[in-house]
Amino acid sequence: MSNHEVPTPINAKFFSKGAIILSFLTLIGALGYIYRLIYGLDTTTNLSNQYPWGIWIAIDVATGVALAAGGFTTAALADIFHRNKYHSLTRPALLTAMLGYTFVVVGLLADLGKYYNVWHPMLPSMWQGNSVLFEVGICVMIYLTILYVEFFPIVIERFMGHVNLPGLLSKYNSLIESFLKISNRTLYRVLSLFIIAGVVLSCLHQSSLGTLMVIAPYKMHPLWYTPILPLLFLLSALSVGFPMVIFESILSSWSFKIKPEIKTLASIAKYTPILLFCYLSIKVADLAIRNAFGYIGETSIESFCFILEMVIGVIIPMVILFQRDKRHSIKYLFLSALCIIFGILLNRINVFLVAYTPPYSTGYYFPSFVEIAVTAGLISGLILVYRFMVIHLPVISIQRVKYNAVTDTPKSESTVKA
Amino acid sequence: MMRRFIRHSLYILIVSLLVPMSVGFANPPIHNSDLTCNVCHNCDNPTKESPCTRMCPTRENMHITSEHLLSEAPDTIMLNYIEKESASVRFDHKSHASMSQMNMSCKTCHHYSPKDRIPPCHECHARESDPINLKKPSLKGAFHRQCLGCHREWSHDTKCVVCHISCDDNLSLDNTDVSDIVGISHPVIHVPTSKIYHTPYEPGPIVTFYHDEHVDLFGFQCVDCHVEENCGYCHDLTHPKNLVKTEEEKHEMCVQCHQINNCGHCHDTKRKPAFSHASTGWPLNQYHDKLDCRACHPTRKKIGRLDRHCNSCHGGWNQQNFRHAITGLILDENHIEWECTDCHPDNQYNKQDCSGCHDDDITPENHIPGKHVVQH
Amino acid sequence: MDKDRRKFLKLSTVATASLIPSVTSASTEHCEDDFDNAFGVLVDTTVCVGCRNCELACNQQNELPEQPEEHFSDKSVFNSMRKPSVEAYTVVNRSIDSQPSELGSFSKIQCMHCNHPACVSACIVGALTKCTHGVVSWDAWKCIGCRYCMIACPFQIPAYEFKEPLKPRVMKCTFCYDRIHDNKKPACVESCPVEALTFGKRRDLIKLAHSRIETSPDKYYDHVYGEKEIGGTSWMYLASKEFINYDLPKLGEEQIPQMTEIIQHGIFKSFLPPLALYGFLGLVMHSIRQNKKKETENDEQS
Repeated sequence: MSNHEVPTPINAKFFSKGAIILSFLTLIGALGYIYRLIYGLDTTTNLSNQYPWGIWIAIDVATGVALAAGGFTTAALADIFHRNKYHSLTRPALLTAMLGYTFVVVGLLADLGKYYNVWHPMLPSMWQGNSVLFEVGICVMIYLTILYVEFFPIVIERFMGHVNLPGLLSKYNSLIESFLKISNRTLYRVLSLFIIAGVVLSCLHQSSLGTLMVIAPYKMHPLWYTPILPLLFLLSALSVGFPMVIFESILSSWSFKIKPEIKTLASIAKYTPILLFCYLSIKVADLAIRNAFGYIGETSIESFCFILEMVIGVIIPMVILFQRDKRHSIKYLFLSALCIIFGILLNRINVFLVAYTPPYSTGYYFPSFVEIAVTAGLISGLILVYRFMVIHLPVISIQRVKYNAVTDTPKSESTVKA
Repeated sequence: MMRRFIRHSLYILIVSLLVPMSVGFANPPIHNSDLTCNVCHNCDNPTKESPCTRMCPTRENMHITSEHLLSEAPDTIMLNYIEKESASVRFDHKSHASMSQMNMSCKTCHHYSPKDRIPPCHECHARESDPINLKKPSLKGAFHRQCLGCHREWSHDTKCVVCHISCDDNLSLDNTDVSDIVGISHPVIHVPTSKIYHTPYEPGPIVTFYHDEHVDLFGFQCVDCHVEENCGYCHDLTHPKNLVKTEEEKHEMCVQCHQINNCGHCHDTKRKPAFSHASTGWPLNQYHDKLDCRACHPTRKKIGRLDRHCNSCHGGWNQQNFRHAITGLILDENHIEWECTDCHPDNQYNKQDCSGCHDDDITPENHIPGKHVVQH
Repeated sequence: MDKDRRKFLKLSTVATASLIPSVTSASTEHCEDDFDNAFGVLVDTTVCVGCRNCELACNQQNELPEQPEEHFSDKSVFNSMRKPSVEAYTVVNRSIDSQPSELGSFSKIQCMHCNHPACVSACIVGALTKCTHGVVSWDAWKCIGCRYCMIACPFQIPAYEFKEPLKPRVMKCTFCYDRIHDNKKPACVESCPVEALTFGKRRDLIKLAHSRIETSPDKYYDHVYGEKEIGGTSWMYLASKEFINYDLPKLGEEQIPQMTEIIQHGIFKSFLPPLALYGFLGLVMHSIRQNKKKETENDEQS
């Protein structure tokens, strides 16, 4: 069956109704971004000396990295553990990861006070081995490069043999062609090395993102402050990997009117409840050991957010996905994936923002319009680029052309080609 | 060969000894580095004979209050030791000294006063704080701690110009008018002789308090009653103190000496007369009258009844050292040899008993054992 | 003769060898472990009169935004708790529990220059360093403006020039590093009229603090804040009541960066754990691939 599933560019119009709305959001976000670069953080954000980090770190960076975990989890499953039936999912996941990390860096640049110094951690004279952030930064930089390398074969596949640059550039056609050929050959040999490196690096920085807040024991709410925060972050990133792939796959199938690969998705979803269960039990054990259960009972924003995070993000999807029949229902699959993604988002916001209480605060942090606009713009931008990519590059594997098509004819692939 | 070997070994020994020593010298031993000679000695070359050790400036062993009088104190002092860095301060010593009587007296500032002299502040407090003896504040710190502690209490302010006159004003001590010191010359504190309090206590609404008696007669110091009444007690410019006291607070001070259940002792329907010793049942004679109360009542508070027998105080008197003439009677030569108790049995010196030697018909009235003298 | 020379050489090597530890221990005295010799300041809040001269001196020394003269004699600022900001590296606060009608006691707040600073451990590019004299200093050129130092600081000290779009700085007390280097006291210490601030070697200050508590036990709360808190700080405090009243948070003795550094150095112990994971995954990948190959071969054969 896998033989029939060949990734192909999708034949669709770029500007659908949703894409227009997203473009609008992206535009606003871009304007906000430029506004921030010109006028600085004070006028554009609600950040202060009391709350130095806002949603640009909690959502754009921390959640962004976590949600891009689909890339390395799918790669690990399909390429390292050779579960070949999931191969059709690796490319969308890889694209998500690549774009996700790219936008993480773009979002981070907005947050950095001296964004033009972002390359500093690469200088050996500035290496700071004690800093968790340094490790995260270096890992993200290398991993992003690896993601581009991993993605390059897809570009090669699309253009090799028919490089056709317009106008003056056309004289470079043959040069690029040979470059693509050479890289295709070399990449084919070494790609697995990169894939493993990607998985290792992901494990490292996914966990280290959790270690970030371990340095603030006196500022963190005890519901979240634990020395095993890195383990919890890694586990939650692993858990959200497949749901993110499922979520995207279903969304793009709706958007492009393709029949979702329900069998593959249902199959990959079976790992998620197990991971969620591990996460839940470690979390409960951690709370028990630290004697922090009492804080759940206190009526505060923190306890409310914690309960919300655990119930929606962990317990509900875990219960749904443990049931075999629900896994095979698109609706439940989508719902549970959505829950987990929301849970991750909430968890990262909780750890970085809700749990963080400076010893002397005169108010609360709530993101400003520009902060929200930039974050929304980045997400919409990401989706738009994703849409653009899948339209023009062979990313999504298609079984059947039309959503309504009854006959499963494998030859339909050829008709899809743009 | 042997000698050479010994010589080499000696070299090694010396080198191995010297190197650690030089290392040691390069980094002097860290322990006890806060102790230098001049922490304890105030001369450069203390010897065993004259160690010139400093007295420890504690607030105990204060000689200033017992040896010096307020009236001897200087009126104004020019504080200009650190003139280069800050403007001088003309310090109205007299008013501060008199005010200090309300609190800790002279030792508020003169916390170190050895016998026979009052050292100036800069004798101990150097211009720069000692990096080794960190305990002792520099002259600047010492002055400011003394002044600002109280000054901010009543003004809630720490402005420099309150004390520091500007550098341009070439004021000196000759300029004796103190009232121009930015208007902070303190008015004379009126010490009342007596005060009359009207109280709601019906059987005796009037309480007369003789302030002078308590000070002059009973020897109370201001601070005995005016506990911690520093400047800020009365002068708090931003938040005037509520000086109204509760019944309990009003009695608190008096009952330290007077019994609380004896209301009539203080309360009366009219102004009570001043204290006279006769009211205690023992009018003082001309000699006792001159004495300070404490001469007989050594415990200042809780003045109680004393044994009226003369020898309870004058235990050391006998016929040899007692000049009988001061009683108004010069004993004649027949009587002068007798022991005191021969005529005054049972230590009753205001009574005479002649019956030890004479018949009953001889009494001191009709047979004077000497000659009366007229006292001047 | 030869024999003797050999003996001498042998002896001299023994001698030098025995010297090495003493010499090296003296020469490799690197600043990071030498906290006792580092400089510090003891703040005696019982002496402070709240004149704010230190704020003025700090403002002038560090060329912070100019303020009108009355600014530093305004006592109404004590009505609210202040924290150091980009405009003031140090602020004087009145203790929380003092009533408005009371004189109150005051404490000066600034960077504590910790012995084991969380900010230094956190900084991604090593822009914050703890070095000579115990000073925690910030390097404008290295900084990328991530503000992780602000997250890490348990005293909530570093302030950030959010208003600056191009060259925002992390602003905090510099301990007047240049002045200390020239054998001068920090500007605030020098300006204190009542010498509530005592500058000296940290070791001496700890002794001084304890002797003050010992001589007047009624006056002081029996604790030297900063002696042991989070592994010790260069700035230490004495007070008459609990330090929480003075804007000084209750902290344990454990060094703040300890936990993250243990985790980090555990994960990256000579890169072994990542390499092991890499090797393991490679092995898994290879063996499964081989198995599959065999399977397909078998399939083909059958």
